[in-house]
Amino acid sequence: MDMAGGKSRLTWAVNLSAALLVLLWIIPTVGLLISSFRDRDAISTSGWWTALSASEKNVIERALAPGEAKPEGDLWVIEGKVLEGQGTTVTAFGITSKEPEAFSPGDTATHARGHKITVQADGRYRIEYAEEPSGSRGQRLFVRAETPPGFTLDNYREVLFAEGMGRSLLNTLTVTIPATIIPVLVAAFAAYALAWMEMPGRALLVAAVVGLLVVPLQVAFIPLLKLHIGVGLGKGYLGIWLAHTGFGLPLAVFLLRNYMVGLPGEIIESARVDGATDFQIFRRIILPLSFPALASFAIFQFLWVWNDLLVAKVFLGTGEDQVVMTGRIVDLLGSRGGDWEILAASAFVSIAVPIFVFFSLQRYLVRGLLAGSVKGG
Amino acid sequence: MLNVVALTYRLTGIGIRVTVRHSKRFGKFGDPQGAAGYSGPIIIGFDEMSWEDIMKNVFYASAATLALSAGAGFADGHLKFAPGDGAFTWESFEALKSMDLSGETITVLGPWLGPDKELVESVIAYFEAATGADVQYSGSDSFEQQIVIDTEAGSAPSIAVFPQPGLAADLASKGYLSALPDDTADWVRDNYAAGQSWVDLGTYAGKDGNPAHYGFFYKVDLKSLVWYVPENFEDAGYDVPQSMEELKALTDQIVDDGGVPWCIGLGSGGATGWPATDWVEDMMLRTQTPADYDAWVSNDLKFDDPKVIAAIEEFGAFARNDAYVSGGAGAVATTDFRDSPQGMFASPPQCYMHRQASFIPSFFPEGTEVGVDADFFYFPAYEGKDLGKPVLGAGTVWAITSDSKGAQAFMEFLKSPIAHEVWMAQTGFLTPHKGVNTGVYTDPTVAKMNDILLNADTFRFDGSDLMPGAVGAGVFWTGMVDYAGGKDAAEVAASIQSTWDSIK
Repeated sequence: MDMAGGKSRLTWAVNLSAALLVLLWIIPTVGLLISSFRDRDAISTSGWWTALSASEKNVIERALAPGEAKPEGDLWVIEGKVLEGQGTTVTAFGITSKEPEAFSPGDTATHARGHKITVQADGRYRIEYAEEPSGSRGQRLFVRAETPPGFTLDNYREVLFAEGMGRSLLNTLTVTIPATIIPVLVAAFAAYALAWMEMPGRALLVAAVVGLLVVPLQVAFIPLLKLHIGVGLGKGYLGIWLAHTGFGLPLAVFLLRNYMVGLPGEIIESARVDGATDFQIFRRIILPLSFPALASFAIFQFLWVWNDLLVAKVFLGTGEDQVVMTGRIVDLLGSRGGDWEILAASAFVSIAVPIFVFFSLQRYLVRGLLAGSVKGG
Repeated sequence: MLNVVALTYRLTGIGIRVTVRHSKRFGKFGDPQGAAGYSGPIIIGFDEMSWEDIMKNVFYASAATLALSAGAGFADGHLKFAPGDGAFTWESFEALKSMDLSGETITVLGPWLGPDKELVESVIAYFEAATGADVQYSGSDSFEQQIVIDTEAGSAPSIAVFPQPGLAADLASKGYLSALPDDTADWVRDNYAAGQSWVDLGTYAGKDGNPAHYGFFYKVDLKSLVWYVPENFEDAGYDVPQSMEELKALTDQIVDDGGVPWCIGLGSGGATGWPATDWVEDMMLRTQTPADYDAWVSNDLKFDDPKVIAAIEEFGAFARNDAYVSGGAGAVATTDFRDSPQGMFASPPQCYMHRQASFIPSFFPEGTEVGVDADFFYFPAYEGKDLGKPVLGAGTVWAITSDSKGAQAFMEFLKSPIAHEVWMAQTGFLTPHKGVNTGVYTDPTVAKMNDILLNADTFRFDGSDLMPGAVGAGVFWTGMVDYAGGKDAAEVAASIQSTWDSIK
């Protein structure tokens, strides 16, 4: 009994802490998601956690210009409504910035210049002038209002329908698909050779590949671009495919080689005994068994290339037919950045394709895992 | 080059598709090749096709034709202001037509994105319309890095737009910039207000060590501005201060009335701290002579000189006083500069004033109308000090990074009044060009800014942009964050100076 209780308590603790960790992990994403539905002013004045509930806030609205006043008896009157169409309830109002909540809805405030102002709870206001007023600057109305949560799809609209976004999506795909397939192909061959083909200096080669993992790709930009321009490749898709392939290969070879080394040697031995060539072994045995590793590397590489901005900026030209999606999104952020709402919305837009890729490859991932059992082979 | 427009239609009844090709010749692109044998429709293929497909194809074909003819005919339709209309100096536009650059492609790399990119492209359109050249502008948020990579690797754009002269000087010394024609410096001297200083700012030592005129200034920003909400001032009965003494008195009075005078935010991602460098530069100009300012920028006057420390402390008098700053002095370094003006528009106001450059209205709440909801005054100088009215500014330097006939012609275009007026007539453009018609300003606030610029006794360029990158875009920024956080001014200044010593 004691043992069992202790165990279940432990399970509970594990589950709880796992749930807590997941929650902790997911909070920034939730915040970003909520922010992506808010407008810029809302983001800069209040936190996303306040967005879900009705909030009381102070708003400044400008009444219609005095020039719009209409005669009514011996008075000149302006009528209108603050916070039109937002379903708000006014709880207090004021007419100067010094005392923004001086009056209750329905009260009449008298301005220093003599005109009388009334704001009702539903937001309707009425300003009465004794003489015909003039001017184009409307009276400021300070309103304390209960505002229901307000969300907008404008950010998504702006990102999705930005000029050239469709073209950029195509450009990104043009970069990403070959830049994923080429390194997977090359690395699979290399990894097989490094794992199962006896040759002098093999360990050294593996060490060199591991060593390359440490080299930051930024140091290679200028020499590589110089090389591309030197051999006449210039800036373009071929150049960026080669660059991404080069930058991705060390990790790919390392991952795949480690996976292939772990495959049961007996299968490969028996295939050799049966007279299979290295290429046959690679194609018939190693490749199918390595599917999970290939798929996971493909996911890595795809995500990295999809999200990449830096390499694209360096190796691609700046013409309309070569601007990738990340570049287009940065354009939307403006010269001084800070347009958070666009950033948040575009994060969720650009996440869509990688998520699709992940889930469609995950199927292979599981199948590959099952195929990896010795007896099944 | 032969341009082929494919038209498709359906032969009714037999349900086959007949693809017909019409060759069309566009004179601008030279002689068509292989069009000699063309004699009417050529049938290329048959297959099933629906009416919708046909309509679609016809539509695409005509769209393609339109796009091509627009490119070939240089229709004036995409110009923001029709030539001949308004108070623009159209003669300068007509004069540009003497240059025939059809077929030339000019690439321009600059720091502007989004709406700013549209503005600069609207100006470029006039150059394209007049000369027939194809100008491709591209903006980059990491311009400083990208231009270095591109020039080093040999894939430089024709023209680069530098936000900081320091970087241009750096590239010039490595031999990556082409000097402007000899007469450009003379032209700037004659046609720009305070012309000599603009020539000096664009003159750098080349690879051979000889100074030459590389950079042409186009588009100036004004920094010595204090933004406020006029109606908040009216409500509280405050007047716009005319001198630094009055500004300080007003600051104290706001505190006495229970308000908070200033909103200050230094946050800017990797560039956090730069707004404080503007404060210190403005304070340098208001406490020391212009000669001292120049000496400070070139480090002939050490950074830890008492004069500089005094200027830093002048900034501290505002930013390090809990009662003076919205959110308290602790919030200064952490508030983002883009969010910091918001406090002025809160109800009740969280602050009354915000010192920032002319670009800041783009970060005001949506719908804020400058001139009505918000306004600015000149960040005043001390009445007690005989230093006149100094103005701090910045500007973008255009330089040729890859020389060609087109690039030269484009720099020539930047001298023409029309290049300035088109942007002036839209938004946020200040210029020292004396030959432009200021009547094209549609925005009275920008006209007011230009007045401040023209009335200045002293104009000085943003010092941190002129200092070496490691200082002006490095320790000066971080040092100011440390100072705002409570570190001693002398200590901060000494550490900045030691970095400067180390890179000499």
